[in-house]
Amino acid sequence: MGKVFTLALKDLTLLRRDLFAMFWVVAFPLVFGLFFGAIFGGAGDGARSAMPIVIVDQDQTDGSTAFIDRLDASTAINVEPSDDPEASRDLVRRGKRVACIVVRDGFGKSFGGMFGGESLLEITIDPSRGAEQGMLQGLLQEAMYRSVIDRFRDSTVARESSQSSIDSIRADEGIDPIQKAILLTFMGSLDTFLGTIDPAMYEDAMTFDGGGGIETVEVETESRGPTSFEISFPQAMMWGVIGCAAAFAISIVQERTGGTFLRLRVSPISRAQILAGKGLACFLAITGVLVGMLLVETLILGVRLGNPAGLVLAVVCTGVCFVGIMMLVSVIGKTEQAVAGAGWAAFLVMAMLGGGMVPVFFMPRWMYMLSHASPVQWGITAIQGATWRGYSFTELLPSCGLLVGVGIACYVIGVRVLAITDR
Amino acid sequence: MIEAKDLRKTFGTTVAVDGLSLTIEPGEVFGLLGPNGAGKTTTIHMLIGALSPDSGDVLIDGKADPTRADVRKKLGIAPQSISLYDELTAEENLRFFGKMNDLSGGLLKERTAWAIEFAGLAERRRSRVKTFSGGMKRRLNLACALVHDPPIILMDEPTAGVDPQSRNHIFERIEALKNDGRTIVYTTHYMEEAQRLCDRVAIMDRGRILALDTVAGLIAAHGGQSVIEAELDRPPDDADAIDGVLDGTSLRVETDRPLERVAALAEAGLSFRTLQVHQPDLETVFLSLTGRRLRD
Ligand SMILES: Nc1ncnc2c1ncn2[C@@H]1O[C@H](COP(=O)(O)OP(=O)(O)OP(=O)(O)O)[C@@H](O)[C@H]1O
Ligand SMILES: [Mg+2]
Repeated sequence: MGKVFTLALKDLTLLRRDLFAMFWVVAFPLVFGLFFGAIFGGAGDGARSAMPIVIVDQDQTDGSTAFIDRLDASTAINVEPSDDPEASRDLVRRGKRVACIVVRDGFGKSFGGMFGGESLLEITIDPSRGAEQGMLQGLLQEAMYRSVIDRFRDSTVARESSQSSIDSIRADEGIDPIQKAILLTFMGSLDTFLGTIDPAMYEDAMTFDGGGGIETVEVETESRGPTSFEISFPQAMMWGVIGCAAAFAISIVQERTGGTFLRLRVSPISRAQILAGKGLACFLAITGVLVGMLLVETLILGVRLGNPAGLVLAVVCTGVCFVGIMMLVSVIGKTEQAVAGAGWAAFLVMAMLGGGMVPVFFMPRWMYMLSHASPVQWGITAIQGATWRGYSFTELLPSCGLLVGVGIACYVIGVRVLAITDR
Repeated sequence: MIEAKDLRKTFGTTVAVDGLSLTIEPGEVFGLLGPNGAGKTTTIHMLIGALSPDSGDVLIDGKADPTRADVRKKLGIAPQSISLYDELTAEENLRFFGKMNDLSGGLLKERTAWAIEFAGLAERRRSRVKTFSGGMKRRLNLACALVHDPPIILMDEPTAGVDPQSRNHIFERIEALKNDGRTIVYTTHYMEEAQRLCDRVAIMDRGRILALDTVAGLIAAHGGQSVIEAELDRPPDDADAIDGVLDGTSLRVETDRPLERVAALAEAGLSFRTLQVHQPDLETVFLSLTGRRLRD
């Protein structure tokens, strides 16, 4: 065991003195993490990336105000009031705002058009922002629903509305008599219910889970989503891990072609020990990089540490996996150039697919599916899981299991191939 | 001490070593002499167990399998390619290989200092190897094979690419090791090195041993006669009386006893403007065995 440590120590010394490798292992990940974290993040709470929209309130009722307040509360959009619908639509046309929303007259009375046929909300959206359209519609519906619920929470307001609905249904000549009878029965019993229930009890019932449970949870996930550093740093860490794996894979083939491996083979140590020394050095380098980056992340950038023990597991598993991959890559070719070339190519594919460049949630679907085959993705998932996602051990298990399993398999194959080609 | 029996090794279609047998006695300096591609390095690697032969056996101290740990401790190898860590210093390289060969503590320190001295690198011992000249690297490459004080040392062209001064330095050190009673296997394609250093020499070509004997024995068996070449002051009076090839004033005589012949010729009244005596050497031996020169 002493010799394995001596071997590993030698390799770590060599790594430390290799400026090119150190660039990939230390400088690049740090710069990558900070740079991408900074340009996509800003304050880090998504405020800067909020969708700017303009709203014209033609209704000017409690209902429309409640609705607009609701929208404004969302961090995903940035609401700006306006009086002039034409000018507002023009802002959208010129790309200055993502969307323009006109709240038409009658919106408040009909509870956001929930009980009416005509559309009382007009949306103009920038056609180039198609991706945001669905999200915006969801947000509008949510706000509408919420503001309605808020208003219904007051039983007198609710009663007023139910009575006005009954009146308008009665007055409407166009409704089929059978339908009319059904609607009137329903609204009538609602009206009776609202008139007889204890107002306090009613309010309680309408607030779901006390204090609006559903509401709170949904708003939370939105505003406390990952900061940009929480996204960029796990990616950057994987680049450091790849840098280590590449450096050690290359060092193995260097030793084989350079003859130091021959010297070691003639020393009283086994091949298994020699390779264990390499593996240990690579493992220590990888965990060193991960721990260093995690320290920067948590101490300086304030990234959340959801599951510290899980994080240890994630780091160890990532180390094991990439030690194995390193061993396999080292036998891809017989020359330094072959291993460096083919190895980096393999690592780049792994990184691109696995979300090392573009985060997986920005990927097209087919690529997202492929990303599940990349160890880089497993590593990112495990590290994100144990930090801000706050995964439990059970939730960490799939990615950690894959990391360890594939790592061991690769190591065994690599060692076998080396034993066969080295005779 | 080292015994190879009918070793054979092929790489793809290249037959690198083709049925090689030899026995190396304890304390002798054994030379493997042959041109590029003769199979010297392949042979050395099989002797130390770094390469497994396709067939045949290697016995060290009568025991098979040179990869056993107790055998390995006795072996020191100075590979043909410089086998050092460029980013480590001379001292760090020596210490590392010392530790790999079970040295530690005071002994490690002592042996490292000895090896630094051996390589003549005392002043540069804290410099990284990548800053060394070719000759310095060569010397360190050899020193790394010796740091654990092995009784058997295999040197694969330890003087390749070295200037005459460095070469002389290396030579003196190897001679000291020889006088110290080490067993040395030495490959080279410089016949004068083999001639100066080796007790016995195997001449190799195309994976086979063509001849194996002491230097004197090889020359006696395969070297042929000495050649006297002379330029005379004037043509001899009686050309027919001279036993040689005469062309004007140029004379060429082949003989087993060159000095006696020169004396006899002078006695016969010839006066020499220039006189050269070529004694047969390993080069001549190789030429006569293969019809080719050792190096072209
Ligand atoms: N790893 C290898 N793969 C393929 N062929 C090899 C390998 N090693 C040696 N050979 C071939 O085996 C033959 C003998 O090579 P070897 O290195 O033993 O010669 P050598 O006598 O040491 O030559 P040199 O004086 O140039 O060092 C050569 O033809 C060489 O091309
Ligand atoms: Mg050779």
